[in-house]
Amino acid sequence: MPKIEVPEKLFFSLAGRNYTDDEMNDIFPVAKAELDGHEEGTIKIELNDTNRPDLWSVAGVARALKTYESGKIPHYDFFSSATKTQDNGGREHFNEESCLGVRDFSISFAAEGCTVTEELLLNLIQSQEKLCQNFGRKRKTVAIGIFRSDLIKYPLHYIGADPDKTSFVPLGMTEELTLREICQKHPKGREYGHIVSDKPRYPYLFDDKGDTLSFAPVINSAYIGAVEVGDRNLIVDISGPGIDDILLAASILACDMADMGFRILPIKVHLAKDTKYGREITVPYYFQEQTSCPASFVEKELGLRLTEEECIAALRRMGVEASVKDGIITVRCPEYRNDFLHAVDIVEDIMIGHGLMKFEPVLPADYTKGYLSKAEEYSRKVKTLMVGLGFQEMMYNYLGSRKEYVENMHISDEKVVYIANPMSENYEVVRPSILPSLLESESVSGHAVYPHRIFELGKVCFKDDDDNSGTVTRNHLGFLAADNQIGFNEASSYINTLMYFLRKEYTLQPVENDERFIPGRAARVMCDNVEIGVYGEVHPQVLESWGCSMPAVMAEFDLDLMH
Amino acid sequence: MDIEVKNLHPLEVRLLRHVSSGEDITADRLVSELDYKIGQCNQAFSWLTAKGCISEKTRDRYTLYELTETGHAQVKDGLPVERIFSYLQKNGPASLPDIAAALCLPQSDVGSAFGLLTSGKAACMNEEKKASLISDSLPAEIQIQRSLMQRSQDAPLRESDLTAEEKIAVSKLAKKRGAASSTFRLVEKEDVTYVLTAAGEEVKKALLEANITGEEFGLLTPQMIQSGSWKNGTFRPYGLNAPVSRLIPGRTNAYADYLQWVKDKLVSLGFEEFDGPLVVNEFWNGDALFMPQFHSARDIHDVYYIKDPVHCKEIEEPWLSRVAATHENGGDTGSRGWGYTFDHEFTRRQIMRSQGTVLSATQLPHAKVPGKYFGIARCFRYDQVDATHGADFYQTEGIVVGKDVNLRNLLGLLKMFAEEVAGAEEVKYVPGYFPFTEPSIEVHIKHPVLGWFELGGSGIFRPEVTKSLGLDVPVLAWGLGIDRMALMHLGLNDLRELFTPDIESVRMRRGN
Repeated sequence: MPKIEVPEKLFFSLAGRNYTDDEMNDIFPVAKAELDGHEEGTIKIELNDTNRPDLWSVAGVARALKTYESGKIPHYDFFSSATKTQDNGGREHFNEESCLGVRDFSISFAAEGCTVTEELLLNLIQSQEKLCQNFGRKRKTVAIGIFRSDLIKYPLHYIGADPDKTSFVPLGMTEELTLREICQKHPKGREYGHIVSDKPRYPYLFDDKGDTLSFAPVINSAYIGAVEVGDRNLIVDISGPGIDDILLAASILACDMADMGFRILPIKVHLAKDTKYGREITVPYYFQEQTSCPASFVEKELGLRLTEEECIAALRRMGVEASVKDGIITVRCPEYRNDFLHAVDIVEDIMIGHGLMKFEPVLPADYTKGYLSKAEEYSRKVKTLMVGLGFQEMMYNYLGSRKEYVENMHISDEKVVYIANPMSENYEVVRPSILPSLLESESVSGHAVYPHRIFELGKVCFKDDDDNSGTVTRNHLGFLAADNQIGFNEASSYINTLMYFLRKEYTLQPVENDERFIPGRAARVMCDNVEIGVYGEVHPQVLESWGCSMPAVMAEFDLDLMH
Repeated sequence: MDIEVKNLHPLEVRLLRHVSSGEDITADRLVSELDYKIGQCNQAFSWLTAKGCISEKTRDRYTLYELTETGHAQVKDGLPVERIFSYLQKNGPASLPDIAAALCLPQSDVGSAFGLLTSGKAACMNEEKKASLISDSLPAEIQIQRSLMQRSQDAPLRESDLTAEEKIAVSKLAKKRGAASSTFRLVEKEDVTYVLTAAGEEVKKALLEANITGEEFGLLTPQMIQSGSWKNGTFRPYGLNAPVSRLIPGRTNAYADYLQWVKDKLVSLGFEEFDGPLVVNEFWNGDALFMPQFHSARDIHDVYYIKDPVHCKEIEEPWLSRVAATHENGGDTGSRGWGYTFDHEFTRRQIMRSQGTVLSATQLPHAKVPGKYFGIARCFRYDQVDATHGADFYQTEGIVVGKDVNLRNLLGLLKMFAEEVAGAEEVKYVPGYFPFTEPSIEVHIKHPVLGWFELGGSGIFRPEVTKSLGLDVPVLAWGLGIDRMALMHLGLNDLRELFTPDIESVRMRRGN
């Protein structure tokens, strides 16, 4: 979930009014935002909708609130579209074929007429970062560069360049490096270089004088790419492998900058390959499709009949222009959004625009029967018996270390499921048995009054080639009793009692080669020729591994084989 | 004085009834007159003193000399010095080694005993280096010691009863606490004399009035029942507030009790429980829920991957093809899809279940219409373990399937959960975001103790989810964050405590 920090003054001025914290708490949900903190003139906001990158900036949240409160849709007159092309003022940007297969698209627009202040610069960088990190999947699909347009001679050129023969001074350094060297030596190169480093050519943007703008998506040049306080004229470049994502990112930034006082100047981009919007696109470009939704569907989803006017007014508060004809609501997606995948997305905007608290809760009318699962019912039955036998029920984590689940148990890890990307070796193995969990209790509970009688009803997981997943999850019972005088006979009594009340006819077979138990003092519990459990005296080598000094017996049963 | 006479112990009762005002009460007296053991005397004295029924009158400290085992033998056989004296009388002069051999005494004892004889002018060493007597009688001090030994055979000697000479003589044969080889043991004793207080007087009167004798029955025995002897007496009432000994009962786990209560609640509301394996694949955990494969929550830093097998063998058709198409272009769900190429290898990748919603997804192809389902599912997240994050934890969630279910039903359901499960005073709904529901709603509740907090998330499954899995009716999906309520219920504030291995802390834990 993206979080942003915005200066209170700028935020309130963009929103068109001041808000108290309570008011923000009340209104923020319309933008699926939460007030995360407010101190010393800085407001922290958490944005929950990962499909609304337009909201991840001070201007975006302010716009959503202002539109919601006023019901007035903001208009941006600098967009081109399939039917209308804006004057590009001679500004052009060429993508050359050499970029294909490297990073297919680079587009740009210019902005002027507003002095860059420190506050504005910080917010611009924050928007750029959020778009690249979250929406742009860490620059993989969207990377953004902002440049000082006064230093640039049009047209711009975007090519796939030889990584060893192309060099420039990257931002934050003083010496000239080749593109390949940047990937190895520059901090940003080490962080983002992998996006392109396996390609034969690297993406490279420069102006008509041959001056470098950037090695997209890695780093700007130290000269043209070092925007400073006091600059007034900027160029924004967006690169990526897919056209829709970068067009949307360009639109979001253009709208944000327009809201902050810039005049947006379109640039005509000549792409290296054809797209569904043609090969020449004047950016910013409105590319979104109309979406529609039957009014009857709105009613069915929301459970409330809204008039056509109510639907249109609700959508307007969400910044969405809509019209109704023959019972079909048709919406025009705002320039800065692209989240109407399905009619239900329209329904949700109507819901929020109309006001969620206006919907009266009603219980579903359908009658259904409730059931516990069979496994739960059986495990409750076993639980009652174990409690009656004097055992304390325990509950454990299912992830643990190799030391706990394998080494201390003196078992082979052949059937053990390992985590491929453990955060720490403490949580590296999925437990194959309840017994190590019980022994862990023993090892940390020497201070607890004896006798110890503990059990758990829980899940275990181990490898099983027969299953589609190669693993299997089972419901098990495990129990352990420790005291200064305890042995196989006590364990047998517990087993016998348990089996009697569970109506299980059983026989015992010797356990062989199981180092968890003292040889000759352990048994496999057989029921209809199936092994349903095992029990016995814990081998002192196991107790020693766990640091336990009290003799113990333990047992484990597969409940899924029993009910 | 506020003493419940019924609660007095028999030792106290018998003592009080036995003594009269002004009389001395001593342990000796109780031993001889009431047949108390010394320990019982001390118990009765300490209890009654604490209750103010008796008070200490005098405390007499004195020293006793009593014979040790060795001493008793020496009374019969004689002290070494006496034996040497009579040996020399009988056999004439002899060398010290000869004496030691003849009397079976250690050389050193013979040496020191001979010293006593020479210093007492009863013997000397003659020119042949042999001990020979020079007197007919033992030295005076030895004679005193002999008489003290005789006197102490019946009762220990009181130091205060001895003459100055006797004191010196006995001290030479005694050691504190009595070393085994010495004749006497020196014992310091204290005799305490108590008297009845005014309060004791009253308690005694009350005892007499209530006819409590201290001979009342204690433990009822099978013999008493069989013989009927219980009919011939009364039962001693026991002190109700006596300290109790600890029992360790067999018990359910308090957290499990809470989860069980939630399960029962949901079953009573018409929900059927579902469950599933801990290892799942990306298909059911994410793809089937229309989470794009590039979604940030599906990152290597958010879920745990399985080392082996890395992939499951197959994903069941037709769901795989339908879901893949839905991601790519919407398939037949009425959506435009995410517009990317679905990765058929990634979808088989195996992970630890990261969200309970995977159970809802796998239920959808088999769901009854109408149907309500729930599960309390153990889930795993790639998170630093701390007070608010566990390596694995429970999620509670479910679905409501019905031809006509809608947003208002979802709100109704949430309101019911808020009131029935969480005991909420007020309920507030706000728009939320989940990749698999649209609309999405968060429910916030005002809890009598916790104040406002987010109870859970919910929504109507996107048609991209339901239609791909063959269900053409709306499905309400919900999840409740009950951990916070469980912690409050158990009086805890650290999630790790819910799965603690500490036996004592689990034994003592109880819900509200």
